[in-house]
Amino acid sequence: MSVLAWIKRRRLHLTVTGLVIVGVYLFPAYWMVATSLKPRAEVFASPPAIVPYPPDFGSYQDEVIGNPILLRAFLNSAIIASGATLVTLVIAVPATYALARLRLRFAGSARFVTILAQMLPAIVVATPLFVLFSRVGLVNSYLGIILAVATITIPFALVILRPFFLAIPTELDDAASVDGCNVFQTFLHVGLPLVRPGLATVAAFTFLLAWGEFVFALVLLQQQSLQPLTVLLNTLIGQYGTRWDHLMAVATVIGLPIVIVFIALQRLIVGGLTAGAMKD
Amino acid sequence: MRVQAYLLTAPAALFLVLFLFYPLLNNFYLSLQDVGIANFRVGERPFVGLANYARLVGDPVFHSSVGLTLLFVSVSLLGQFTIGFALAMFFNRAFPGFRVLRALMLLGWLLPLVVTASIFRWMLEGDLGVVNHGLRAIGLTELAKHWLTDPTTAIWGVILANIWIGIPFNMLLLLAGLQGIPRSLLEASIVDGANGWQRFWHVIWPLMKPVSLTVLILGVVYTFKVFDLILIMTGGGPVNATTILTMFVYRTTFEFFRFGEGAAAAVLVMLIPLLFTIGYVRATRHEEAL
Repeated sequence: MSVLAWIKRRRLHLTVTGLVIVGVYLFPAYWMVATSLKPRAEVFASPPAIVPYPPDFGSYQDEVIGNPILLRAFLNSAIIASGATLVTLVIAVPATYALARLRLRFAGSARFVTILAQMLPAIVVATPLFVLFSRVGLVNSYLGIILAVATITIPFALVILRPFFLAIPTELDDAASVDGCNVFQTFLHVGLPLVRPGLATVAAFTFLLAWGEFVFALVLLQQQSLQPLTVLLNTLIGQYGTRWDHLMAVATVIGLPIVIVFIALQRLIVGGLTAGAMKD
Repeated sequence: MRVQAYLLTAPAALFLVLFLFYPLLNNFYLSLQDVGIANFRVGERPFVGLANYARLVGDPVFHSSVGLTLLFVSVSLLGQFTIGFALAMFFNRAFPGFRVLRALMLLGWLLPLVVTASIFRWMLEGDLGVVNHGLRAIGLTELAKHWLTDPTTAIWGVILANIWIGIPFNMLLLLAGLQGIPRSLLEASIVDGANGWQRFWHVIWPLMKPVSLTVLILGVVYTFKVFDLILIMTGGGPVNATTILTMFVYRTTFEFFRFGEGAAAAVLVMLIPLLFTIGYVRATRHEEAL
């Protein structure tokens, strides 16, 4: 058997095509990392080196590890993303359970509202929130930004979680109620343990969304000591102009947790996204 | 029992009312007042009826932002959908490593928008950007432009970045649709002697229409929402060359501090997602029963 026939039988030619497609598609992400690993002079080189060799970690030393403002922003991003994840789970999980399993009269309008909330442009919500929060003193506070981010992540969680709760057999609820469980107990002891993968998916998604959130933070946090990485990157672009090696290092730092969470929970994310969008 | 069930939804309902619907209603009220930087926090806010809306209707920048939004949304959608569909067809086959490769494509969609925006700003930079380096390397020197600072090309630069972001999402949902097509139908069409092209137009495409409609509706709304990308890449400029509607709302409010007018623009901008939500709920209603 010839090599060509073997390749064709194993469909390796498709693998090679696939690799090329993914390579071309992800080139921008590669270029970000490559630029961040170049010394300043190489950023100005023409033509540019495609592979930064030897890699230079100067940008990370100067701009990441050696920069207290950036470390502070990293911490802020972590606080905001964790806070938003917690608030979202606590509020969205019981609501999704009730909407999916118990026939509530307003379930139809709840579906409409959750979809609408996701479709609203963030800036349209951010402006009135700014007006409201500046009256009640929630501008420039962690609580304010966490609540604001949750206006995006709660509706999103309602949609993503729904299929997980729908998949539980109703017999289990009936059995629980025969055993004398009330609705709360059934939710806590029957519903929750069975949707653990769903909870992980929602937590991961919420964290990713909140970590990358920019619009609310831009509008609601003017104090630099509270701003997350995304807002800092925007500020740096304005300040540095052409220090692309530094800017790409900061961008890489913002993207890194996303890549890690994605690799760890890849299966959950792909499955959850498709189910949530197609079947609601 | 009933009461307990409603109690489980109460925190979510209360949250959305307090932090989403009350501010939006309040925003509508604000759009009927004359509010600037002087009377934003304290002082009288004169009621002006629809004056803010009237000013928008007469504002050439608002007009141009409507046009730019149409261009931005339609071209982005066309690009995302066709490329996403082609990739879905490709990845709808089993070959060694197809799962991993398919999943890797999603990274483009998951990267925070500010990250993607700054990468594209860097790649499209006039003197040092890799796009222009590439064009010069293949002899197309005259095509190398200062993409994002030239008013004629800036909008195309942000469209390019937005297509890149949308491809994986389109691919993933269309792939789910393709996997729902029964194999027997495809095999029957092969037996009937249909070539690949005929198979696509007469078997696959008609069956993919409902999924495509859903994907396109979501695409319109998600593209219409775009704001971060443009703020970072161009800030809405040069001048107003990339000020789409969401940028217009932001600039009116936070750059020019015309809060009343910004609120009026925000109300108008909300109408589009409202219409499309109605459309989407209708398009996917039958799936709710499954």
